Formats: sequence, structure tokens, C-alpha cells
Amino acid sequence: MEKIAITGGKGGTGKSTVAVLLANKFVSKGKRVVLCDLDVECPNDYLLLGQKLKNRIGKVYAEFPKLNKTKCRKCGLCVRNCRSNAIFQAPGQYPIFIYDLCSGCGLCSRICPYGAIELKKKVIGEIYLNRVSKDLHLVTGAAKAGLEETGPVVRGVKKIALKLARKIRADIVLFDTSAGIHCPVIAALQNVDYAYVITEPTPLGAYDLALILDLCRKLSVKAKIVLNQANLGDKRIVQKVLEKFKIKKFTFQIPYSEKIVRAYSQGKLLEFLSKEF
Amino acid sequence: MKRKTGIKLAVSGGKGGVGKSMTASALAMFFAEKKKVVAIDADVDGPNLAIWLGGVKKWDEIEQISVSVKPVFDPKKCDGCGLCAKNCKFEAIEMKKNRPVLCPFLCEGCGLCETICPKGAIKLKPVKSGEIKIKKIRFSDRRFLLISGSLYPGETGSGKIVDEIKARAGKFSSDIQIIDSAPGTGCPVNAALRDVDFVVLVTEPTPSAISDLKRVLEVVNYFNLPFSIVINKWDVNFSLSKKIEKEFSGKILGKISYDKNILNTVSEFRPILGTNLKAKKELEIIYNKLLIKLYA
Repeated sequence: MEKIAITGGKGGTGKSTVAVLLANKFVSKGKRVVLCDLDVECPNDYLLLGQKLKNRIGKVYAEFPKLNKTKCRKCGLCVRNCRSNAIFQAPGQYPIFIYDLCSGCGLCSRICPYGAIELKKKVIGEIYLNRVSKDLHLVTGAAKAGLEETGPVVRGVKKIALKLARKIRADIVLFDTSAGIHCPVIAALQNVDYAYVITEPTPLGAYDLALILDLCRKLSVKAKIVLNQANLGDKRIVQKVLEKFKIKKFTFQIPYSEKIVRAYSQGKLLEFLSKEF
Repeated sequence: MKRKTGIKLAVSGGKGGVGKSMTASALAMFFAEKKKVVAIDADVDGPNLAIWLGGVKKWDEIEQISVSVKPVFDPKKCDGCGLCAKNCKFEAIEMKKNRPVLCPFLCEGCGLCETICPKGAIKLKPVKSGEIKIKKIRFSDRRFLLISGSLYPGETGSGKIVDEIKARAGKFSSDIQIIDSAPGTGCPVNAALRDVDFVVLVTEPTPSAISDLKRVLEVVNYFNLPFSIVINKWDVNFSLSKKIEKEFSGKILGKISYDKNILNTVSEFRPILGTNLKAKKELEIIYNKLLIKLYA
């Protein structure tokens, strides 16, 4: 089973589009594919595939502190030791947990000398399954809106997708990541066989490409470069980044096409691509 | 309440590549004609505002910052009990041959391991998480500050870097801060939006962008922030654009036409305001409407 990530640094370079395109290509070659949307803050693959998120197959949980006021002696130890600054205490008052800042590490609960802080499970994300076709399963992760740390959601969704992939004996699992290089992207890229990195021929694409390639190198993930809207802008600036990372060539180049732009906006990308490619 | 920093205006939108930085760059330049502006690039995962402002070859100031710590294990004191690995909520510590090994990419720097280690074998060390960069931007007769920053690849804590950048920006007096947020709805976006006065949400008439707009709106509403919407590339799908206008009637600040030449101008490091593109005029209308909204 091959594990492939689709990432890109910059947003809007065409990650989801390429992910869906690749999934279809592999299916047409007779492979059994699990496409896993790990852009849990803004999942879109289901929309590109004309699906709805109805079939929830699981939830991702994390633990958050809850105060037992009868036990709390207002000593403030939890406040002083929280590295996320997520506990606030006015003089002489009970501590208050600011969940927007809490990473759920559980330190406060461990160190409370009075056992006044319990950890309560909370849902931080949901997992959906769509059987798009006989050989294409789509697993979508969706974080609870406003959740700070989305890395744990990505890890949770990834585990379920891999379990499913093994069960149905999938040949390929595609992980579509979010934009950027922070926790959810790191979590998505870990332990994949290689990654398609989607970029565009602009200084914006090039700058963010250097960041994501740096991350891939640190995670020992081999990167294959896809240049989208290849005939616009100026690709030399992207080529310079490739040279710096000793990558010889673009694996694919996708030309700009107004038809793609319109098909995407109408939610008919797949229909269009299956006709044109 | 009169603040030294004036109005804090954030530009966000959920989906990547919908035109957040383009809009933020144009607004900063328009506002700079009459107001004292500080532009803040809060997309520390992919800070591109500088490029939209014409590109920065040499920053006036670069400051390395640390927003996180990571554990270091003392092999002499560690007896291999594995308590740290068992209790780490982020699965960042693995026991190998009876010794803890850290996966730095999973570590949140919470310090639980240090606190619970019965042998005192774990010490937390600050890590270099990223940097803050400052540049005085000039565009014709306009001058304003750009405060940018970046997360080093492989490090965690993008939200905390955004907090640091905003704290740094707060040291400069301004009439208005223009804050360009990251895509998504996670910690860097929360940090960018948390304390602002107004949010401009950029979207486009595609099913993906609309879905993402609604997700970021949950964050905006959670913080109870007033907002307006800009529809970029509105003419690639008239009926979806109309649908957005109908659904958010009274909230639409303006529309920007689709123009593939924008990609070419940004490749030449030309700010939108330095072009004759239709988008420039459309952004000026948006700016004028915003002036009324914020100051009338």
C-alpha cells in the first residue's frame, strides 16, 4: 500500500484539484484508492467529487480540564505552570480555563495537589466516509470550527483512513493536506512514502514552496513537484527553488485553462477533467 | 476607547488563494494615503504580503523568536521508566531500547514530561521557532510599516508567533492596522482575529470557497466580530455570486473581477496599485466603502 501526500505550502494552488485528479487516475488504472481529506479546517474534496458529508463513521476526541470547585483551594499552581497561558485566575477567585488557548496537554490535572482538575473528553473533530465509486473511498476529516490545535484531528482521521485502507486492501492512500507548514500539515506528512507538492509560477508560490520543501526534507519525505497554471507568471523563480533543493524537474505541469476555472466554480471539475484528460 | 494602534482590521476568508493578501496589500496602500498604517502579515506559514507590496529585498530588522520549549533528556538521571512517553498527549515521546526519544515535530512544548519525571531527568529548552521582520514600505508618496514574520519549517506554535507579531506591531502608533490572516480556521487564524475591530472576508464563487467562508464565519461569530464580504473573481460564476450576495445581503463590501493578468503582475513584483488593472479600481471602491463603514 502506497501512502502519498498532496501538499503545497501556499493556499489555492490546486492541492484538492490535483488530489481528486490523481485519485481518479489511479482508479482508472485499476487501483483501489482511499482519498483522505486532511484539510480538516476547510475540507473541500467532497465538494469537488459532488458528495455530501452524511455518513459519519467516527469522532476524534481530546481531553480538556474541568474544575471541581469543592476540591479546589485556589492555590494557583495550575495557572503558573500552564505553558499555553490558558488558565486565568483573578485574585482570590477560582481559576478559569480558556479553551481557545488550551492544548489539552493535561499538565494542570497532573500537578493539582488537591485532585481538583479532571480531564473531560470533548469532540474535536468528525470523520465522514463516502464511497464515491467501487474503487474510490473518500474519508473526510472536519475539525470543530474555532478549534486551536487541529494537528490531533489530522492524526485521528489519518488513523481511521489507514485502518479502512488496510481493511479494504487499498493499493493507494492519498492524503490531501491543508495549506501552510504548521501542525496539521506536519501531522499529515508524517510517514508518507512521498508527496506531490503543488505550486504556481509566481513569487508567492515560490516562497511558500521553499518552506514546504524545507519541511519535507526535515520529515524525510520525498517531494515531487507539480506546477499548476504553468503557462502564466514566470516559472524561473520556481525553478530557482527547485535548484536549491536539488530537484531536477517538474513531475507534472498543468497549463492554465479558463475552462478549468469555470468548471471548478460550477462544481463540475471532475466531469470536465474526465473528459479532457 | 482610543488606542494607540487605532482600528484593527483583519482580512481573512478560510480558503487559500482567494485573494486575502492581494486585498490586504491594496487596502494598506489605499489607507496609507491619509492614515498612519501598520500592515501585519499574520500568515506565518506562508507570509506573502511583502510580495504583494512590491517585494522586500532587505528587511530593516529581523528578530529571531522563541515561542516554544522542547524537552531534553538527561541519560544519567533517566532510569527508563517510560512515564513521560505514556503520559504525553501528543504521542511525541517514544521509548526505544528503554530510553525516551523525542519526535520534535509532534511535541507541543507543554512541559508535562518535565513535571512528572520522577527522576528529574527532563529539562525544557527554548527552541528557535521563527522570526519577526520589519520593513518600512514606500509606495509613491506613501510610507507605512510592514510587520511580518515566519514559522521555521518543522516548528510548532504558529498562533503564538502571530501573537508575538501583533504585540510587536502594537508598539508602533497607528490609525489603522491591516492584519492579513492565514487560510483555514486553526490557531494562526484564531490568533489573527481574536482582538480585531472588523473583519473583511474574501471569498470567490466556488463551492469550496463558500463552504470555507462559512467555516471561518463560525470563528468570526464566536469572537462576535463585525464583518463584510468581498467576492473575488465574481464573474467566473454569476449565479453563485448572486447566491452569495443574496445569502449575505447587506454584508457585501464589493466585487473584484477575474483577471489572469494579476498573476503576471505579482510575478513582476508590482503592487496592484501600481497597475491599471480593473481590480485596482474595484479595490478602490471597496476601500472607499470601508472608509465609510469604519469612520462614518
